[in-house]
Amino acid sequence: MRRALAAYARNPAALLGAVLVLMVLGMGLAAPLLFPQDPLGLAGRPLQWPGANPRFPLGTDPSGRDIMAQLFHGARVSLLIGFVATLVASAIGIAIGAVAGFYGGWVDTLLMRVTEAFQTLPNFLLLLVLVAVFGSHINTVTIAIGLVSWPPVARLTRAEFLTLRTREFVSAARVQGLGDIHLMLREVLPNALPPVIVYASVVMAVAILLESALAFLQLSDPNVPSWGNLIGLGRNVLRVEWYVSAIPGVAILLTILGVSLMGQGLNDALNPRITGK
Amino acid sequence: MNRRETFLLAGSSLVALPAIAQETPRRGGVMTVHFATEQRILNPSLQASTGVYIVGGKIQEALVDLDAAGNPTPVLAESWESSPDGKTITFKLRAGVTWHDGKPFTSADVAFTAMEMWKKILNYGTTLQLYLTAVDTPDPLTAVFRYERPMPLGLLLRALPDLGYISPKHIYETGDIRQNPANTAPIGTGPFRFVQYERGQFIIAERNPNYWRPNLPYLDRVVWRVVGDRAAAAAQMEAGQILFSPYSALAISDLQRLGRDPRFEVTTRGNEGNARTNTLEFNFRNPILADIRVRQALAHALNIPFFIENFLGPFAKPGTGPIPSVSTDYYPAGMPQYPFDAARANRLLDEAGHRRGAGGARFSLRLHPAPWGEDISLFATFIQQSLSQVGVRVEIVRLDAAGWLRTIYNDHNFDLASGWHQYRSDPAVSTTVWYRSGSPVGAPWTNQWGWSDPTIDQIIDNAATELDVGRRRALYADFVRRAQTELPLWMPIEQIFVSVFNRRLRNVGNNPRWASSSWHDTWLAS
Repeated sequence: MRRALAAYARNPAALLGAVLVLMVLGMGLAAPLLFPQDPLGLAGRPLQWPGANPRFPLGTDPSGRDIMAQLFHGARVSLLIGFVATLVASAIGIAIGAVAGFYGGWVDTLLMRVTEAFQTLPNFLLLLVLVAVFGSHINTVTIAIGLVSWPPVARLTRAEFLTLRTREFVSAARVQGLGDIHLMLREVLPNALPPVIVYASVVMAVAILLESALAFLQLSDPNVPSWGNLIGLGRNVLRVEWYVSAIPGVAILLTILGVSLMGQGLNDALNPRITGK
Repeated sequence: MNRRETFLLAGSSLVALPAIAQETPRRGGVMTVHFATEQRILNPSLQASTGVYIVGGKIQEALVDLDAAGNPTPVLAESWESSPDGKTITFKLRAGVTWHDGKPFTSADVAFTAMEMWKKILNYGTTLQLYLTAVDTPDPLTAVFRYERPMPLGLLLRALPDLGYISPKHIYETGDIRQNPANTAPIGTGPFRFVQYERGQFIIAERNPNYWRPNLPYLDRVVWRVVGDRAAAAAQMEAGQILFSPYSALAISDLQRLGRDPRFEVTTRGNEGNARTNTLEFNFRNPILADIRVRQALAHALNIPFFIENFLGPFAKPGTGPIPSVSTDYYPAGMPQYPFDAARANRLLDEAGHRRGAGGARFSLRLHPAPWGEDISLFATFIQQSLSQVGVRVEIVRLDAAGWLRTIYNDHNFDLASGWHQYRSDPAVSTTVWYRSGSPVGAPWTNQWGWSDPTIDQIIDNAATELDVGRRRALYADFVRRAQTELPLWMPIEQIFVSVFNRRLRNVGNNPRWASSSWHDTWLAS
């Protein structure tokens, strides 16, 4: 573990990723302290350029809201969506992948056909359908994003389980008379987890992007200050007041970059074939 | 300041018009039109909607249209007269008019369209023609409308430019009218005949060589380009790929930008007959909103002049009730109003028993904004922001067009809704249905609030059959007073649609419903 941390710390790109993610985290934590007012409240005249009014360093959006306040509060929303959706996707994916990979046979075939059925559907279209049916409350949106993101996690987990279940230490535990649940959770899963954790960073990045895409189509929850909502609002005024969309766009770019670099760094740090040398 | 300039530019173009009118019209050219929302049907005898008129109004014609001064002018009807009791109205029809497929236009077409389409299917038409019992056709060029109750001639003539389009009987008499293939490939008598509709892309119509107005139209073709994205439509205007964008379809910021560009004219001219008001609709099935003090408080909590000045610009002004100020005949002055007064709003809410609880909140409401119009979306956000100041939490719920209409007007599953009410020349056409009880469940843009008031029903019925113009005016003043007192819904903003013209277009905006009219005299300078 210490060796992995050291490997991570030696990787400048991974460090940059961690710094970016910590920055976004800091913005989210500081939001209620720096901007105690409702970020969706009317703050001033709409569409003031960044810097034009010292009260609004990043200007105001078409609804007269402070973009800076929305950016800080939006960090919480985006991270929350990212974390929760990733948790949902990982929980489903690991459960299905573990069972399929561990038991094999017809269980595997059945579960993998279901997974493939989900994989063949473009996940954004599936998300649109879910939101159209169940509404666009932020909780619904977050869970829906998790629900469309699990198939790759399931396949990855299954592949790890397939290779690990025949190893000697698993067989040894089995000979000792330990049950399937114990074998899956205590013996195989801890060894299968590192690549899944790395992949979770990809899921998180995609989750944040999916919410932004929904909001861009004005289909996300308009009652929370998410970055995607701000981009969607700015779409109408893109030709003149481009900063309304550009500012949250840069925020999303940096967050995704941070999460991805962190994931890459984790991958390198946790992979014994790279760290060992 | 920029908005002022736009307004001045729009005004100065009016002064420049007479000079343009002296030019000799040029034949030929293709007029390209921005078509923002696709329609399921294009036949204006079956659906009264600006999205249908913008296409179908060039292909099919009505009995009458409006002239430059807004008075009824003959089209397919050459003259009309009413019997003294107002129950019989006789139209003399134009001779020598043929349908695009070569068949002659006769009174049988008028009788068929009136009885089978206007009375049974056409929205607003079913209400307007409720008491129409028969259309007699003594000869091919005479149509006699018989009513059970008096029909004011003025009301009928003001309604017919929108609700008086004629369809060919020989095309529609067999089969289900709603499923007729001509609904998306219309056959009419108008200056342009239908060529092709490619869904999601374009509609094409070409010059009708047998048009009854000699040597018209000037244009070779009209092409409607389907462009849903506002920013893309503005870019196509600038590239000259679209010459006309009707009905406020561009973003407000783009309207202001194009207004400063000498190549374009951004104006409300030609849309005077299409005034619309923004609505705030209350659901009386929610006991909180059934309390008049709460409705009044919500109205007092909104600073409408501030919203208009900062968000909508010069093309909007505060509304004073369901009849907008462009209605010179029926606009009543001095009606009850709800000016911005947050203190009063707070007091009214306290009196209604909704004291502030934890965090200063009194209660929560859902608000469903209609998914068309940038101003509706902005207004919804403004309502949310303003009501939070008086302790009312508002959750905005966004739906697509079909879902919104179903949720509000069929399922009644809302607290507040906001959209547009369109005023069409006379309050009886499309305004009083928002207040009259008894509309079938699911009929959009009608009273579906769970509110029923015998007093206003009586006023509306009396006004619709009153022949004396002075007495009708007095009845509509009573109607507005009652509507503003009971406040089943509120219409606080009045807007005229904005058109964007490429200045190469001539003879545009020369009647109060120009975007809907036939464009027979429109031409394109080289």
